[in-house]
Amino acid sequence: MRQEGLLLHAASRLLGLIPTLLLLITIAFFLIRLAPGGPFDSEKILPPEIKANLDAKYHLDEPLVKQYFRYLGQIITLDFGPSFQYKDWTVNELIARGFPVSLTIGGLAMVLAFLLGTLIGIVAAMRQNSAVDYSLMGVAMLGISIPNFVVAPLLILVVAVYAGWLPAGGWDWSVQRMVLPVITLALPVIAYIARLTRGSMIEVLNRACDQSRRSGAHEGNHGQQRRFERMPADDQVLRQTLGPGRANVIAVKHLDHTAAGQAGNVGNHR
Amino acid sequence: MTVSLSIRIAITFSFVLLASCHDQDGEFARPREQRDQPVELVLLDDGRPHPAVLAGDQTVTRGNGEEPQTLDPHQAEGVPSANILRDLFEGLTTEAPEGDIIPGAAIRWNISRDARTYTFYLRRDMLWSNGDPVTADDFVFSLRRAASPATASPSATMLLPIYNAREVLADELPVEDLGIALLDEYTLQITLTGPTPYFLGLLTHPVTYPVNRRNLEEFGDEFSRPGKLVSNGAYVLKDWKHRVSIELEKNPRCREAENTIINHVIFMPIEDVSVEVTQFRSGGLDWTNEVPNNQFAWLQRNYPDELVISPWMGSYFFGFNLEVEPFIQNPDLRQALIFAIDRQIITDKVTQFGEQPSFALVPPGIDDYVPFVPEYADWTQQRRNEEARRMYELAGYSNENPLRIEIRYNSSENHKKIALAIASMWKQVLGVNTSLVNEEFRVFIQNRQQKAITQVFRAGWISDYNDAYSFLELFRTGDGRNDYGYSNSIFDAVLAEVATERIRARRSRLMFEAERILLTDFAIIPIYSYVTKRLVDQHLKGWQNNVMDHHLTRYMYKLKSRVKGSADSLNVGGGEHQ
Repeated sequence: MRQEGLLLHAASRLLGLIPTLLLLITIAFFLIRLAPGGPFDSEKILPPEIKANLDAKYHLDEPLVKQYFRYLGQIITLDFGPSFQYKDWTVNELIARGFPVSLTIGGLAMVLAFLLGTLIGIVAAMRQNSAVDYSLMGVAMLGISIPNFVVAPLLILVVAVYAGWLPAGGWDWSVQRMVLPVITLALPVIAYIARLTRGSMIEVLNRACDQSRRSGAHEGNHGQQRRFERMPADDQVLRQTLGPGRANVIAVKHLDHTAAGQAGNVGNHR
Repeated sequence: MTVSLSIRIAITFSFVLLASCHDQDGEFARPREQRDQPVELVLLDDGRPHPAVLAGDQTVTRGNGEEPQTLDPHQAEGVPSANILRDLFEGLTTEAPEGDIIPGAAIRWNISRDARTYTFYLRRDMLWSNGDPVTADDFVFSLRRAASPATASPSATMLLPIYNAREVLADELPVEDLGIALLDEYTLQITLTGPTPYFLGLLTHPVTYPVNRRNLEEFGDEFSRPGKLVSNGAYVLKDWKHRVSIELEKNPRCREAENTIINHVIFMPIEDVSVEVTQFRSGGLDWTNEVPNNQFAWLQRNYPDELVISPWMGSYFFGFNLEVEPFIQNPDLRQALIFAIDRQIITDKVTQFGEQPSFALVPPGIDDYVPFVPEYADWTQQRRNEEARRMYELAGYSNENPLRIEIRYNSSENHKKIALAIASMWKQVLGVNTSLVNEEFRVFIQNRQQKAITQVFRAGWISDYNDAYSFLELFRTGDGRNDYGYSNSIFDAVLAEVATERIRARRSRLMFEAERILLTDFAIIPIYSYVTKRLVDQHLKGWQNNVMDHHLTRYMYKLKSRVKGSADSLNVGGGEHQ
């Protein structure tokens, strides 16, 4: 019963997407046509005969409405037709070739960010307000504030050009070529996750302390809180604190599109 | 082809492995060259390298700018695809390392007395990579395909000199009426509309390359893909990883296979020029497509032997809109503005990447042509400034009544810097108040064409073929690219004569006259002529600088070790540092 309701809800949300998408597609289609210039414009003006042939080939000579419905038809059948830019390939082929690369780099970056970020966050939380905590969080802050386009050339310069350990670019599905883009993409996310993990862990820790303080209030012992914080990172603490904390991290990751978007860029360019 | 070594170039061969890695004297910036000791190059009698000096792995990796749009030679447009197609295919003619036009698929040709009919005699032993013989019919089929409206080739402009080409492209005549006739299996006749001295050069352009009919019929639109494409050049297409690399492999059936040393060519599409430099420095590239302007001075200091600068077939200039105020009928004002620019400062201090200051339209280095150089090119800038002030006043402007104009350019750091420099020179010398307007490229192009709101605007031209006419015809009355609104009946008449003149020397004199008229009318603001600039690994030899910037990989080879002395010892004109 409850599952049916869930399915129904999901279906209605999906259906609700259609008018939004249609609107977006329509606006995008007409805005592009409203803007001056066409896909074959360049400084070398084509003689009218040649321009007409090109337009005819790509159906640009048809009335706008007809072009629009042709485009809609293509989208519905998920066949985006030939690429204007790379004439030997269809748009579908180009996506099929680029997407796995983006997915791999983005996915690996995600995994790395999650593992390292959580680890750093835990260590920092367990050593709250210590030198370890401050230095880890300082580095994390740096990671967030330095943009990818600065980190990437720096890494290339040091690792590829000066040291010669890894290739400076290119793509062939080898581990060597994945290392730098994955690290570059993961860095800001590592920092982000580390800060979140630390924050939510401390919050949970404090809640746990409050509870224990309340329960042990008659003892009037304020030192208890400190002792709790300094407890060794045993299983108990991790399970209690990380569980609720991680839910936060995951929720935030859903909102964070940047990593995926940037992964797409790397996949396309390298 | 005997192995009798010519002792033209001495024989030394000493390999010392790897000077230690920790080079202390600031060589940190350039680790890649420190791996081997230079040797002297040994050449055989025919000018080819002795096998003993060659590297074991003959693979060359070339940076190639943008991802090519297509590898269908008839659909292709732009430099990146042309670079690859020149390695894959061979037209009726081809180019030597220094750019001279030499026999390709045609071993010889006759040109009729009126210079309108070319008869080509094809090699009888030429094969496609699938084993089919290359015949005259392949060329008839291919040229018709290139001109067909159904193909919609963006480069079909190159075919316009052929008889009836315009009508065929406009679908007014069937492709069979194109001026191409099959005389026999290995003989082909091409008829032109008028004498076209650069026609043999046009035949090195990809749009004139043959495609294999069987290949096309079998695979249709997908024929230009790896594993399918059949070619007749030095290489075949092995792999195409979209936006990663295009790999070519030596074509064992090529007529020059025996003399082709490089076995693998990898073209890397790298749009970001600074990425190209890091790739080169880390050893991932042997040849860059370009170098970034802002690193030019640094590269000059740190990679003096690898940085190669060479004149290119292009001119950078600013245009006047001659159809509107204030420039219509106002040569004095135009002269003042042209004179008041210190070109040396622009190339030395503003752009800083080795361009040649220019006072003319046609760049230097073009075949059969000596550009017109106006008298004031030799003046000092001070004298030009004085003259500029005089003309400015003559045109009716002064400090109290200064000229106000706009310089329009498409958004780009380089155009902006140049426009800024020019604006400040005009302000300083003449007191002109200039405002800068930058526009998105397509908007800019459209505004230029409409000739309504433009005043002074960024222009320039890089030619597709080695002929001065390509620059001059931009200014013909009514030409689709005449965004300047220049119209001079004498100029047009001289150009018309150029188009029909078949004696080279006379034609050259006529073009000189046309350029003189254009420059005496002060129709454009010449600024500089382009150069190509790239990094080339010191192990890669066999190529030569040429004004077309065409470099066929089949001439190249890779040495085991660097050549002793400077890069110039072998390459004629290699590494011409300004």
